[in-house]
Amino acid sequence: MDYVLSLILFIPLIGAALTLLFTKSRESARIVAFTASAISFVLTIMIYLQFESGLAFLEFQFPEKITWISSLGINYQLGVDGVSMPLILLNAILCPLTIVYAWGENKLPNQFFALILVLQAGVFGVFMSLDFFLFYIFWELTLIPLYFLISIWGGPNKDYAAIKFFIYTHVASLVMVLGIFALYFSTGVDTFEIPVLLQAFSDIVDPKIRVGIFLALFFGFLVKMPTVPFHTWLPDAHVEAPTAGSVLLAGVLLKMGGYGLFRVLLPMMEGLGPYRENIVTLMAVLAVVSILYATFAALAQKDLKKMVAYSSVAHMGYVMLGAAAFNYMSVSGAMFQQFSHGLITAVLFMSVGVIQHSVHTRIIPDLGGLADRMPKLAFLMMAGFMASLGLPAMSGFIAEFMVLTGSYLTLPVYALLAMLGIVATAGYHLWAMQRAMFGSYNEKLGEPHDLANFEMIPMAILVLLIILFGVYPGSVMEMFEYASTIIPGVMI
Amino acid sequence: MAVDNIVYLIPALPVLAFVLTLAFGKKLPSGGGYIPILAIAISCIISILAFLQIHETGIPIEVSAHWFSVLNVGIFIDPLASVMLLMVSFVSLLIHIYAIGYMAHDPGKPRYFAETALFTAAMLGVVLADNILQFFISWELVGLCSYLLIGFWFRKPTAAAAGKKAFLTTRVGDVLFLAGIVILYSSMRAVFLERFPAGIPDGTYLLQFSTIFENISHIDPTHLTIITLLFFGGAVGKSGQFPLHVWLPDAMEGPTTVSALIHAATMVTAGVYLVARTFPMFIASPAVELAGITIPATLTVVAYIGGFTALFASTMGLVMNDLKRVLAFSTISQLGYMMLGLGMGSVIGAAAVGFAMFHLINHAFFKACLFLCAGSVIHSTGTNDLREMGGLMSKMKITGITMLFASLALAGIGIPFINKIVGFPVGTSGFVSKDAIIVDGTYVFAHMTHDWIPFAFGIIAALLTAIYTFRLWFMAFTGKPRQERHPHESPATMTGVLSILAVFALVFGMLTFVPFLDFVNQTYDPEKINHLAELGGNPILEDPMHEIHHIVDHASPIIILLPVIVGVGGLLLAWMIYNRRWISVASIGNMRNPLFVILAKRYYQHEIFIELISLKFTYGVLALTSEFSDRKIVDGIIDGISSFFIGGAEVLKKIQTGVVQNYATATVLGVGLIALILSFRGVF
Repeated sequence: MDYVLSLILFIPLIGAALTLLFTKSRESARIVAFTASAISFVLTIMIYLQFESGLAFLEFQFPEKITWISSLGINYQLGVDGVSMPLILLNAILCPLTIVYAWGENKLPNQFFALILVLQAGVFGVFMSLDFFLFYIFWELTLIPLYFLISIWGGPNKDYAAIKFFIYTHVASLVMVLGIFALYFSTGVDTFEIPVLLQAFSDIVDPKIRVGIFLALFFGFLVKMPTVPFHTWLPDAHVEAPTAGSVLLAGVLLKMGGYGLFRVLLPMMEGLGPYRENIVTLMAVLAVVSILYATFAALAQKDLKKMVAYSSVAHMGYVMLGAAAFNYMSVSGAMFQQFSHGLITAVLFMSVGVIQHSVHTRIIPDLGGLADRMPKLAFLMMAGFMASLGLPAMSGFIAEFMVLTGSYLTLPVYALLAMLGIVATAGYHLWAMQRAMFGSYNEKLGEPHDLANFEMIPMAILVLLIILFGVYPGSVMEMFEYASTIIPGVMI
Repeated sequence: MAVDNIVYLIPALPVLAFVLTLAFGKKLPSGGGYIPILAIAISCIISILAFLQIHETGIPIEVSAHWFSVLNVGIFIDPLASVMLLMVSFVSLLIHIYAIGYMAHDPGKPRYFAETALFTAAMLGVVLADNILQFFISWELVGLCSYLLIGFWFRKPTAAAAGKKAFLTTRVGDVLFLAGIVILYSSMRAVFLERFPAGIPDGTYLLQFSTIFENISHIDPTHLTIITLLFFGGAVGKSGQFPLHVWLPDAMEGPTTVSALIHAATMVTAGVYLVARTFPMFIASPAVELAGITIPATLTVVAYIGGFTALFASTMGLVMNDLKRVLAFSTISQLGYMMLGLGMGSVIGAAAVGFAMFHLINHAFFKACLFLCAGSVIHSTGTNDLREMGGLMSKMKITGITMLFASLALAGIGIPFINKIVGFPVGTSGFVSKDAIIVDGTYVFAHMTHDWIPFAFGIIAALLTAIYTFRLWFMAFTGKPRQERHPHESPATMTGVLSILAVFALVFGMLTFVPFLDFVNQTYDPEKINHLAELGGNPILEDPMHEIHHIVDHASPIIILLPVIVGVGGLLLAWMIYNRRWISVASIGNMRNPLFVILAKRYYQHEIFIELISLKFTYGVLALTSEFSDRKIVDGIIDGISSFFIGGAEVLKKIQTGVVQNYATATVLGVGLIALILSFRGVF
């Protein structure tokens, strides 16, 4: 088990190479790709079951360290803790399910499935890296497959969306990299090891430099999450991306931004000194604005997929709010929101994808009465929508309850403001259901087929997981909880 | 203590029934409807066993386990929960049996029975919850089922719209309720951090009812009032109190069994139950000063909102022509009575809980009966419109008679003063419980505080209730048939259920009044309530039940008679107008009369809530502005920046002429310029 993290990380890459280079047909491409991600999944489950909370802050399990560029202090260093373990699990769950969902892909299937695997490996890398240099490489690696997924398999306006996605998030990454270098040089520890740099952060003498580093990293993360007003790349990217791309974009790629908050920024909070209050206010304002603004924007959308994209922005606002409130309840809630939103949003994008595929439009006013012809879809979609609007007994409620209750302890006004969005959130979900799925069937849509098995199975598994984690948050919540109690300076 | 080990089955069996019906319903007879019936029957039996045990020992049943983080799951059955449990499981069982006949021809039966089973489980979850979060979770699931079942016939656009309206309107209340829980958690945490500065001990669940009740006196009074008002906000949404009652009449788009089970007998009483469940918090909430505004004590708010709703809804009940809508408004109105009764707690203490709960239970029986009778009528005539009915008595004897009994109960017809002689009140169940709220509640309140407004609400609403109830009955069952239809009596599964409920509507109140109150009044310790009332500035009677009797005994007989006088008066009035037709209301009941128009238009609530608040403001202003700003401003800036770079690149591209002389000139000029600048700054 010494190199299990590397195995989990590289098996998808090997699978991608095999799929790309050696598969001749759609059938073989998808089987090879699925096998690779399934092996990663099994290995992830193995380490998940062996994972034990209880280590000290910045201590990691399943550690690996190989010197890479010793003169600069760059290492190939991996490890997991309670912040990353459930997210690795999320990535390991979503990718094979996405591959199954995309079972019918006809266009360049070997390239398609290979890109999904590269994406999966990149995300694994981000969640496992304990070296900032490595972290950055994986961070950027995730851009490339999604760029191609959008620009090759995308919708009519794919070129604009793909380049916007790429440049926008790339510019943000560059700002982040400036932050990383500033941290590296101003601490003078001669290593890119994340734990070492985080501990050295508060030793930087000038508080302004500390704030500058914090803000540079923060910018990189908040564009990725994304947070209003830096979110506009997301709806465009989703609208044009193929369903599998959207599922992974919203399901795991956005989580990298939130992960950055928890892994890098929250441990720095104590070191911000006199500026901490201002930073917290900034985060809280951005969070509440994201929640409310994106919720109302979602209410106005006519494109079902764009609506779901805006709902992601609003839900990620809860992640920011929980982080800003900085007590263990809000932080663990925010971490759980990441996990939960990954599962929920996947169901939503899959539902929208099925509609698009089957009636060739997803403009809400053009739909109508689909539940009549597609009862299986209606059932799973309703479950997904209910989860997304925060219905109890589903995972989203647990997360939002923890975030709101926790945030009220330290940021009462912002917590109450965030709650103003709850009714409108229910509003756009149910209004969309009513117009798209209920009422009399719109005969102009032809004769749609209901869910195929390869579409239904991943959606049903996700719905079951959402309910499972909503009824019994169990070990995932325990890991997050422990991880958030040991962050220095967090309010218990 | 065998019952303690199996009480978890009470909600678990209906959940299981939900899963099984959903999975296998299509392949089973009656859409798998017998699965939930069996499950709920067992739940009902366990509920009875639990009741017997609590009744005998006087000790509540408590089962609790750790859930996650700082939260627990648990079951708590005290006398209050126990009576509610009996009512929910029993009424639910009857309505499921009735639905076998009623839904016989509907292809969506499996979905119907699965959803009603889930509803029953969630409702039982509300009743059994031992902490406020679990209460909220079940409460929300109840809301989900209500949404799904109102929109059961989803192909009908009005049904889909009504489901959405119900969910969103109650959601407004739910957000308030959730905010209350969030604030309560923070307050309880503050209390415990003060008591245990080293850290809150493990196994303390701050949202558990027992923990909350023990610490009410330590919670900041301002916070307590805010929390209870927010809780009441949730109750206003769920129990259809003004101004969040607008969803309930529309909820009648669902199957009539759903209207009976969810939107009359059980779910809508969840709000009343919430106030009763957290009554110690309510009675301890004082009037407070917040940002210069005086907020009245929460129970006062409860009383006034409840009383006003009772009256307000009954005015609209007078003019509706849809059979089910009349009943919907009567439900809103009767829920108002229950809230009014609870609000009287500021004088009569926890006795208010007994009265309100008694009316809740009685109402469940007679209202379920009324709705199922309506279902029977609609089933056979194929219309909801009262104007198309008439003379049904000859064709549908059982339905007619059972509905008459239930109507007498709703109108509160009974014989006053006999209780002095026989030791228990004599009259329909609605009479017994409504009389208790009006006389023992509002009259005693008026006697003590000289505030007669709640009493007036109660009396006027009682008059209107009697009028609209019998308007309905006379229009449907007497007179000449107004349409060429061939109504027939419903099958035995349906009429059997009707008969059982009608018997309950008639005699349940009489037979159980005294023991019921004795039992439910054990829920809260009187000494603690007295102490909490003091904190809340509520001047309650020292020994409420005793002093209420004393005050009522010395009251003028006209006060005691008034509820019955208005009840019988209303009945006679309706008889003269709608049966004998001695009085014609055509001169006032038309669209030229502005008052009638306001009632028929339901006070323009649709225009205000849907068109103004939802469409014009939320969608038209908030949503479209956000969308516009997102496209034109936020994204516009991004596109602006990118076109700046693209444009800049275009300009720079032109500079790239490829002519070496141009480059050389530029280089010389540039170097010269730099040298110039540097020399100015004194470098050279």
